[in-house]
Parts: sequence; C-alpha cells; structure tokens
Amino acid sequence: MAHELTVMMLTWEFPPRIIGGISPHVYNLSKSLAKNDVKVYVVTCDFPGAPQHEVVEGVEVFRIDSYKNPSPDFATWVYLMNINMQKEAAALVNSLDGKVDIFHAHDWLVANSGIGLKHVFRKPLLATIHSTEIGRRNGIHFDYERMIHETEAWLTYEAWKVICCSNYMVSHVKWAFGLPEDKMIMIPNGVNIQEYEKNQNVDLSLFRRRFALPEEKIVLFVGRLVYEKGIHVLINAVPKVLEKVNAKFVVVGNGYMKEPLSNLVKSIGLAHKVIFTGFVDDETLRNLQKCADVSVVPSLFEPFGIVAIEAMAATTPVVVSDTGGLSEIVEHDVTGVKVYPNNPNSLAWGIAKVLLDENYANRLKNNAYKKAQEKYNWDKISQQTKTVYEAVLNEYSKSFWA
Amino acid sequence: MRVIIFSWEFPPRIVGELANYVRALAVQLVKNNMEPYVVTYHDYLTGPYEEPKGTKTYRVTNPVRTHIGVLTWVLTLNQEVERAAANIYYKSNKQIDLIDTHDWHFIPAAVTLKKALNLPFIYSVESLEEHRSHGANSPFNMAIKSIEWLGLYEAKKVIVKSEWMQDEVTRIYKVPIDKIKVIPPKSTTWMKEILETYKSVIGGSVSEWLTN
Repeated sequence: MAHELTVMMLTWEFPPRIIGGISPHVYNLSKSLAKNDVKVYVVTCDFPGAPQHEVVEGVEVFRIDSYKNPSPDFATWVYLMNINMQKEAAALVNSLDGKVDIFHAHDWLVANSGIGLKHVFRKPLLATIHSTEIGRRNGIHFDYERMIHETEAWLTYEAWKVICCSNYMVSHVKWAFGLPEDKMIMIPNGVNIQEYEKNQNVDLSLFRRRFALPEEKIVLFVGRLVYEKGIHVLINAVPKVLEKVNAKFVVVGNGYMKEPLSNLVKSIGLAHKVIFTGFVDDETLRNLQKCADVSVVPSLFEPFGIVAIEAMAATTPVVVSDTGGLSEIVEHDVTGVKVYPNNPNSLAWGIAKVLLDENYANRLKNNAYKKAQEKYNWDKISQQTKTVYEAVLNEYSKSFWA
Repeated sequence: MRVIIFSWEFPPRIVGELANYVRALAVQLVKNNMEPYVVTYHDYLTGPYEEPKGTKTYRVTNPVRTHIGVLTWVLTLNQEVERAAANIYYKSNKQIDLIDTHDWHFIPAAVTLKKALNLPFIYSVESLEEHRSHGANSPFNMAIKSIEWLGLYEAKKVIVKSEWMQDEVTRIYKVPIDKIKVIPPKSTTWMKEILETYKSVIGGSVSEWLTN
C-alpha cells in the first residue's frame, strides 16, 4: 500500500459522550490501532464542550451536529442524525482525496452512514455488532422494533465482514440475521488494565467511607438500570444476602428502573443498605471497582459484559449470571462465580459465598486478573482487528471496485 | 451532458403530478440530445432499465421493509438512491454533470453526493411541507422542513414552477431570490429555460449544446 492503512470509524458515541459500551470500545480500539500504525478517523456525534475536531492520542476525532430539533422518536432521530453524519464524513473523505481504505460502523445507529459511504466511495464496509434489538427486547413485538431489527440486518448484509465481541454474539447474530458463518469474526472486547494500576499506593479507606461503614462489605453493580441488565434481580437478592452477611449495595448508573427500584428499597426498609449513585466519573468508578468486595453482573441479556472484565482488571471477585458473553468470560470457581440468570436465590448464594470465604475470593480475583491481562488486552485486540482490515483489503483489491 | 434526476415517483408508480412531469422532463431532455438518468422508487421493479423514448431509469426498493412512517421510510431509501447514483457515476467514468432532485425525499442523497463527489445539484420544488401540512410544527413536520431547508441551502439553484412558489420559498426559508428560477411547466420556453438553468450550474453557455 502506498499510504498507511486508513480507517474511518463511525460511532454515535465517543468520549466524552458516553451512553453505553460502544464509546469506550471505539475509544480504546482506535487508540490502540493508532499505536499499531493505522491512521484512524472517528466521526461521531457532538457533545457539549467537546471540540468539533481534535486529535486524541493519534486519533483524529470529528464531531458532527447530531440533529437537535425535537424528534418524533429515538429511531427517527437516529436516521436524521445519520443525514448529518454521512454528509460530514463524505466531505471529510473528499478532503482527504478519497484516501480512506475502510469504513468501520458500530451498530445500527450508524448503519445509514456506513452503507451510503461504502457505495459512494466504493470502499469496503465493516460492521461491529455490539448488541441486537431482538436481544435487547427479548423478541420483536412491534413495527418500531422490527424496523430497527431490519436496519441491523441491512447493515450486516452490506458489511464485508461482521465482527462480534464474543462467541455467544457470533452465534446470536448469525441466527438473528441468517448470516453465513464465514462472514463472522470474533474479536473480544478489551479492558485498559493500566487505568486500574495507576495510583496503586493511594489509600482508598477514606474514599470507601463515602459509600459504606468499615464493617460493611461492598457489593457493586455497574450498568444501565434497565430490565436486560437484571438490576431488579440484584435488588430482590439484597435481603437474602443480608441474612448471611453485613453488606452495602452500591448501584452505579442510570435508567428507567432507578425510580421504581429505589422506591421498592425504601418500602422494604433497606434504604440504608442500597445506594443509587447515578452516573459517576471515571476516577470514582475505578476507585469503587477497586474498593468493592464483590462485583455483580446479573444481566438477563449480555452480548459481552465489559463490566465483568473491568472488575477482573480491578482485582475484584465477580459474580455473573451464566448467560451470553458472561458465560465465556468467567470460568466457574476459577475466575469468578456463575449463577442462574434471573434467579435472586442463586445470585444471593453466589454473593454470600464470595463474601464469606476470603481465601476463595482471593483465588478467584488473582486468576481473573491474569486472564484479563492475557486475553482482554487492547494491544492484542487492535492487532487482531488490523489483521482483519488487511485481509478485507486484500480481497477488495481483487474486486471490480478496486 | 449527463444529469441524474431523483424523484420518488415515476411511471408506472404515480402518486401525484410529479411522476408524469419528471417523465416529460426526461423525454424532452433526450430529444435535446442530453443523457438523463432517472433514479426512482418501485417496490419490486428494481434495477437499471431502458424506458421507451430513450430515458434510462434505475429503480430501487427499500432494504428496510417495516416502517413507522413516511419519514423513516424515506430516510432508509436514501442509501439505495446513493448506491444507484454511484453505480451510474462509476459506470460512466465519473462523467456526471449534475443532479436534479425533485422534492425533499432524496435531498440527503443529493447532499452526500455533492460533498463526496463534487456533483452539483438543483432542487426542483413541487410542493413544500408548510403547505402540505398546513403549517403544522410537530417534530415530524419539522424534520421534513429541516430536510427541505438543507436542500435549499446546499443546492446550486432552486427551480420552482410558479412565481407564487418563489415567494413562498423566499418567505419561509429566506432563500435569496436570485437563487430561485421560476420555470412554469406550461410555458413554451420550458425546456429552453431548464437547459439554461442546468447550464448555469455546470458552467458554459447553452448554445454549445444546441448546436451539437
């Protein structure tokens, strides 16, 4: 290749805009690709205070006007936002003399832009499917959901290859959209272990006291407070855990279930045992993950389960529901505890087991830390991704588009 | 001269007046030795096709079959319009002079093609959301209006069919009046004025076409 491999990432979220897991994923992947000699342009939605253009650790980030009029509904907003994203991305590629080798789209939220750019510039499109509508909703029940489902199918149809972050998601996406196996590639999600190794010697006992009494164990939940994340399962497990061990439940994140669940906690007289912190900044989150005595991921549907890996990097023992990507991340009794999904008794058993047996907890967290270092390492993941880019470009070079 | 015409209706799919107007436009352009391509929608008659009287069409369908309204339907159709236009563009060795897009539906595609491939476009206004929805300002109407605005802003020239519509485009969207060309379809100089407007966008004078 005459010039360095150039990729344009399309994503609806990129730090400081953080809504779910796509934002940190694209951020870490792009940074690591840049370190491995890939030129990366990120085109993403704007965010108050964030510049329209900046270079973040070698990654060119462009933020577009993300359509701010009131929209009839979320999906329509997504399509409207894509008008602007596609327009700005097209102008950017044009200004680079068309020197972009690959468009890489993350989820249906940028399907229109990715597909349009592919055809207009006749360059290959790659798609990473982080999650699916049929998985999030546990089936397709309304036209609105079916429209999103079909948009996802359209993206996977147009993509040269489809990347998923777990073997579970590979088989799920293959089933959901009827894709051939050889179109699918599994590359795991990663964790930034260095972020957890910073300030190792800082005493967190004062920080810890903001959340729990010294004699209370901390049980941490991190995630959107929505049905599929199983936060209601954890809340139902709270009294069962408290029968065996004195603990404080710290719930980080926002979502439509926050209000009903915090009312429920009050009504059963356990408001002093459960804290809803809302959204917290990165440093607070990492410190909480380090302080916690156990991290819980009780999801009902989980394509990957990044918070489990984060807990492993923070050397906190994990209790996860045996579903989706979590089943692959955790080996029961070796790197964590697996419990039955949607089962508060099973979850309470797992939490109590870890909290009551210190030797067991130590063994789990040490094994888990090693696994996070070896397998979920961004440098390694970005090299795997680069290999996919090179293979796609090699195939493309023999096509009539080249 | 090659022009790609975008229209959401074209015979045999007839919704309103636009279908027959765009067909007459394409037929007259062929008679004047121009090479028009019409990119349009049909649910199942898809792909490139040679119409009677020398017009070339490229019909696309919606890859997303289920929709919650005309807005989402239009917005997912635009990428197929881009694909069709790009196929015409690359097959003709990138020798496309301009795009003429009729009404708001395929403005996103016209704007993207302009930004990506430097293809100028004309926005031909048949009607405006303000009149179709009697001034309604729900998020749905505002979205269509914002697309109309984008088209008026990014277009090299705007063609309207009456002086009244010229006034309305100026009043509602504050478009400078000299950007808007009034060409009544029934006028005897209709085709000549269309060609002059096309030429004013591409550059050069219309006489070099007419003598060829």
